[in-house]
Amino acid sequence: MKKYILVILVASFALTGCEDFLTVVPETQLSSATFYKNQTDFEQAVNAAYVPLRSIINDRAWLLSEMHSDNTYYARNVLFGATDNQEDLADFSVPESNGTTANGHVLQQWRQDYLIIARTNQILALIDDVDFEAAAKANVKGQALFLRAYAYFELARYFGSVPLHLTPVAKRDEAALPLSTEAEIYAQIEKDLIEAVSLLPKKAVQTPGRATEGAARTLLANVYIQRKKWPEAEQILAPVLTHGYQLMGSYDLAFPGNTANKNNAESVFEVQFIEGAAGLNGNFIYQFMPRPISAAELQPIMGTSNPQNIDGEGNNIPTPDIIAAYEVGDKRKDASIGTVFLSGSFRTDKNYPYIKKHAKQHSQNNNTGTNWVVYRYAEVLLFMAEALNEQGKGGAAGYLNTVRARAGLNNSTAAGQTELREAIFKERRVELAFENKRWFDIVRTDRIQEIIVPYGQRIIANPLDYYYPPIAGAVPRSNAFTNIKKFYAYPAAESDLSPYF
Amino acid sequence: MLNYYQTFIKTRFIGFLLALFIVSVSTSYAQSVTIKGTVVSEGDNQPVPGALVTVKGTQKGTVTDIDGEFSIEASVGETLIVSFVGFTTNAVLINANSTNINVTLAYSTSDLSEVVVVGYGSQIKREVTGSIQSVSEKDLKDLPVSSVAQKLQGRLAGVQINQTTGKPGQGMNVRIRGQLSVSGGSSPLYVVDGFPITGDINALNPDEIQEITVLKDAASTSLYGSRAANGVILITTKKGSVGQTNVNLNVYTGWQTVPEKGRLEMLNAEEFAQFKKEYYTDAGQPVPEIFQNPADFRNENNDWYGAMMETAPITSYNLTVTSNKEKVNTAVIMGYFDQKGVVRNTDYERFSLRLNTDYTVSDKVNVGVNIAPSYVVDNTPQTDGDRGTGLIFNALHTWPVMPIYEEDGKTLTSFNRFPANTGNIFAYPNWLRSADEITNETKVINVLANTYLEWKPIKGLSLKTTFNAELNNSNYFYFNPSTATNRINVALPTVASSVRDEYQGLSWLNENIATYGRSIGDHNFEALVGFSNQRYRQDRTRVAADTYADDRLPTIQGAININRGGTISGVNEWSLTSLFSRLTYNYKGKYLFTASVRGDGSSRFGADNRWGVFPSTSLGWVLSDEGFLNANSTVSFAKLRASYGVTGNNNIGNYTQYALVNNTINAAFGNTVFPGAGVTSLSNTNLGWETTTQFDIGLDFGLWDDRLTFVYDFYTKNTTNLLYAVQIPQESGFTNFNDNIGEIKFWGHEFSLTSVNTTGAFRWTTNANISFNRNEVIALADGIDRVYGSQHITKVGEPFGQFYGLVKLGNYANAEDLANSPQVPGRSTVGSIKLQDINGDGVITNGGDNDDRTIIGNPFPDFTYGIINNFAYKNWDASITASGSEGNQLYMRHLYSTANLDGVFNMVAKVKNRFRSPEDPGDGIFGTTVGGGNVTGIERDWNNSNFVYDASYFTIRNITVGYTFKNLPKTFKSARIYGSAQNVWVLTSYWGGSNPEVSMQGNGQGDGGNLSQGVDLGSYPVPRTITFGVNVTF
Repeated sequence: MKKYILVILVASFALTGCEDFLTVVPETQLSSATFYKNQTDFEQAVNAAYVPLRSIINDRAWLLSEMHSDNTYYARNVLFGATDNQEDLADFSVPESNGTTANGHVLQQWRQDYLIIARTNQILALIDDVDFEAAAKANVKGQALFLRAYAYFELARYFGSVPLHLTPVAKRDEAALPLSTEAEIYAQIEKDLIEAVSLLPKKAVQTPGRATEGAARTLLANVYIQRKKWPEAEQILAPVLTHGYQLMGSYDLAFPGNTANKNNAESVFEVQFIEGAAGLNGNFIYQFMPRPISAAELQPIMGTSNPQNIDGEGNNIPTPDIIAAYEVGDKRKDASIGTVFLSGSFRTDKNYPYIKKHAKQHSQNNNTGTNWVVYRYAEVLLFMAEALNEQGKGGAAGYLNTVRARAGLNNSTAAGQTELREAIFKERRVELAFENKRWFDIVRTDRIQEIIVPYGQRIIANPLDYYYPPIAGAVPRSNAFTNIKKFYAYPAAESDLSPYF
Repeated sequence: MLNYYQTFIKTRFIGFLLALFIVSVSTSYAQSVTIKGTVVSEGDNQPVPGALVTVKGTQKGTVTDIDGEFSIEASVGETLIVSFVGFTTNAVLINANSTNINVTLAYSTSDLSEVVVVGYGSQIKREVTGSIQSVSEKDLKDLPVSSVAQKLQGRLAGVQINQTTGKPGQGMNVRIRGQLSVSGGSSPLYVVDGFPITGDINALNPDEIQEITVLKDAASTSLYGSRAANGVILITTKKGSVGQTNVNLNVYTGWQTVPEKGRLEMLNAEEFAQFKKEYYTDAGQPVPEIFQNPADFRNENNDWYGAMMETAPITSYNLTVTSNKEKVNTAVIMGYFDQKGVVRNTDYERFSLRLNTDYTVSDKVNVGVNIAPSYVVDNTPQTDGDRGTGLIFNALHTWPVMPIYEEDGKTLTSFNRFPANTGNIFAYPNWLRSADEITNETKVINVLANTYLEWKPIKGLSLKTTFNAELNNSNYFYFNPSTATNRINVALPTVASSVRDEYQGLSWLNENIATYGRSIGDHNFEALVGFSNQRYRQDRTRVAADTYADDRLPTIQGAININRGGTISGVNEWSLTSLFSRLTYNYKGKYLFTASVRGDGSSRFGADNRWGVFPSTSLGWVLSDEGFLNANSTVSFAKLRASYGVTGNNNIGNYTQYALVNNTINAAFGNTVFPGAGVTSLSNTNLGWETTTQFDIGLDFGLWDDRLTFVYDFYTKNTTNLLYAVQIPQESGFTNFNDNIGEIKFWGHEFSLTSVNTTGAFRWTTNANISFNRNEVIALADGIDRVYGSQHITKVGEPFGQFYGLVKLGNYANAEDLANSPQVPGRSTVGSIKLQDINGDGVITNGGDNDDRTIIGNPFPDFTYGIINNFAYKNWDASITASGSEGNQLYMRHLYSTANLDGVFNMVAKVKNRFRSPEDPGDGIFGTTVGGGNVTGIERDWNNSNFVYDASYFTIRNITVGYTFKNLPKTFKSARIYGSAQNVWVLTSYWGGSNPEVSMQGNGQGDGGNLSQGVDLGSYPVPRTITFGVNVTF
């Protein structure tokens, strides 16, 4: 009899209750099944979509688009190795095989841009099905579209054709997509930004730091200019002139401080940092310092109470070329470039230039809250000048001269479309120096041969002028300036995983 | 959840419990006489104290005294069973005249009649059809080490046990039959008194162990279902011997040292200064003043590694009280173990208590309770790890010209940095201070409890229900005061920081098992059915804080900043529901058959794949019982066995199947932090266990009355559905997709033998084993044929986790050689490392699938072996345990710093023979220093064959010599003193450090613990230990 009781118990146990007992959901983490349900969820989701911008700006944008130009170079330190990832970018010697490269910065740029795209795709795929307040929804959606377009614009300029992901990936076999043409990518960017312009609030009513209608218009104008769509650029940009933006009184005030002056009147879009231990800080100015620099040499520049020596190899050092590019009397020169004496240097002249315009006083060593300006009103004026001049319209010189006036310079003497084109190109170089614009300007104006090739020849001929120490063996590497191309090769690590490139 | 569980227990089990509690008690009476006798050993006719004398079929029993004498009540017609470990069991029928009997026990070489513990029961060894091996406590008792696994080194065929670090209580890597998983765990399942534990086996006092059984093949393990693929180690704790009360005290104490021999040979101060001088000279630069006369440093060497080491005491006390009289069988074991470490400021202490009690309520009902609390305090500096985190690595690569002590020779320096113009790049704190001042302490409370109720309603039927609980409470405390750091280039004072990490784990298991055994004629059956539920929950609270106002108050409230990035509260939970059954049948004990099956439902498996079924079957044939061998006097025993079965590995993480949202991806706008959230993983509702299908064939053989016994096994197994985070293109926004992929094939041969070499007064026995384990990756995921680690590759068609890199051919001998050889564009120079152009494209490239890298080494041995010799002569006994590994290699990863030719760190002495010029090319191992990191970086930063060295070893693990006192006063039952030396001698050609068993796990992408074995970053040395002990029984 008792045996039967046992059998019944076993059977009843086996048939019921198991699923409940065996369902153990994570208690301390949210899962996708329970998220994306309300306004707060979507606001948090769009906040996270901004996050990869910090890594892009702090750690590689300046390597891929400023040091990869004639504006900055590295200060060779022969005692250090493992520096070829950066050197290859500055030296136009990024190793390439079968259209791919192992360069880590190229890889990370790719990954961070697609992280923005994946996070915005999640939002855009789900937000229309969730009911919440219309204005808030439009704001979130507009920001998501802005960020997705921003990421694709970077990818299109760095790589050309790239995979076009517009919906969230849910399964393994959806992870890789074929390459879409540059035209297809730009079409999507334009579409997203036109919608973003209609959804986003103006700067006056937006949380400072988030994307605005003005930012979307400026980004779209940049896209049109890249595509040489001059009338469209003028048209989309014109309303920005009435949004209340203005040039700051002096050039140095255009660049935010560690806590003050962020998202100021000139600012159109900035990548945001906060100093402290919460992980929202930057340290790009430390990466820009020539080395080896002692704590005592660093302290006056950073103003911290705990400066530390920095060894290694300094990057993003202003070249003699950019220093010479400023006209006499240009106030921007001293505001942009400082000089620091490095007692530990092997060079005879131990004075090095550094990027002063981004160096703002802060409190903790290697931890800054200084924002990075992506677009500011001075560039809006120069975009406007360029769009008008390229259409052969008048008024271009006026916008150019507004920018020059603040720099303490007389009106441009350029006459005619061609001269004015040159004047605007030169003005962009000095006004926007060290703002990661130079490489893109050179590419979109088809001046790679004209500018980069002779620049490389100058370095190889006169390495001492470009911060090499007077030491045997400390010369430009034999592969320097051997891979000068419009686009970067695709990252090898991604290529290994994708069947399409 | 707890409420739910309580309800669950009530509704499901109360009925069952009630059924078991309804018992009937019956007793019987018989006429008895008192029998006295003496037990002596055959051959030397010595009295055998401690032999067990029982009356067959009853609970009655006694033990012989120091003179081998006993006295017991028995009835005429009953049989006395006399047994003692190491002797064959003897049976004596009681007749009317048997009031005084002498029993002679023959020395046994075979333990075939012994009962061994198997999964969910026990079996007579000769009837076992699976591949198992058991070790008794008497073989392990003298070894002066902290953990069970250390004691097993060299003893088990097919089980590789490596001590990867000398940190007390840590670093034992146990792998049964070479089992590996890409990302799931590979440690065996430890089952203590029937309870699969979740905590650390090292917390168990080895003196509590009676017997260890290792289950290797699928037939032995498949009753453990989804947790069995890595093999199972069953641990049975001590019980009293029938009729006996013993009080045993075992104490040993001794000291540990790190032998000079085998240490990594680094440059001394003078040699280092000489290197620096040559470095500048060769580069055509002025030599800094301080290095112009290297001889100045002749008497100022600073051996940073040596200074970290000290001679350290080790002490162990164990008091064991066992009693098995009347209806109560009790064992109480109290242990205290204290091991100071050979690295400064190491202290590992374990306090343990175990109380095992069985109570015979009646002939039909038994109950039992085991409860074993332990408390471990482990205070060990952060010795192991990469440069900048591991103090051993840090000490090795610190300049020997930097002073350890101030001028007074006693006070430790705090910070060492030469002026920048000496070409120094890094600043070093004093690592001895780091070891002394940084707190890195873990306190663990472990409580293991088993209870059972067994009811035997009819003959042959047993109904047993068990409740088991395991509590682990682990408290980790780390405090880095402002005066110390374990990183290079951190100026002192630094920012004081702390981490508190507390885990509370609770595991519950209820098992209900019915066993029925019956013999019908020559047909013997045993059937088992059972079901069980286990649930585990772990709560974790980690608080990281920094910027302390005062180093003396490392409290949380004393910190100015709580580091939110490092502060975590988390829950880890799983549940497992199982049904299992086994049928054992044999005919005349000659033809043996077993089949078993287990079904496991696990919360870890995806909703669409919740239940796994794990069947097995095995056959045995005792050839020696057949007529054709029966008459053979040479062959005393022969058994052929074969098994086949399926097991699983459920170490796939608790929530891997879910798509998780990270809600700490915070954004900044202005000066305000805004919370952010994003999906960080993809869901997989089909995620399941890893499946291993194993076939085993074995032969057990005994010759000359089992004086020589021999066991051979061949196995082959395939592991499929490996859990792997398959890397996916990050254009998806995700890094990987957790899936069950691929297939690995394992196969191997195991031999073990036991031999009684001499008998009589001088008795010498040998146990030896040798194992050959192989594996090959058959498949990975669709479209993926390889997985890269930092120094490894796991590739289809090759063995798992091979070292991967470029092949070094030498150094470019001269300008002509350079011009005519493939180069690293822009970096190769005369004297720099010359690598093989594997892909034949004319240049050397490193990266991508089609570069010049190839497989350059194998961390797995060709074979491993162990040999144990035991000797006894009169009162003396001795044993020598040795083991070895042949054909495995290590990746000497620390060379990336300790052979950094830029002279920023101290270097291995071999760099003295580097390339200096075409006329002075050195021994070819290390290249030129000229050209700086751009040149030397290749040899240092690119994985290449210059890092790979043979690490075969033969180690004499232990030598013990003991002396047993005889003719003791009656108060003593036995007394023995012994001396023991552990890790006596290591024979190896490996020169990268003192421990050829080291294996540091890497971190980079594609690395899991298993994918990246055999990497040497320098680790806590394994000491040589000399101890003396006393073992007295009252």
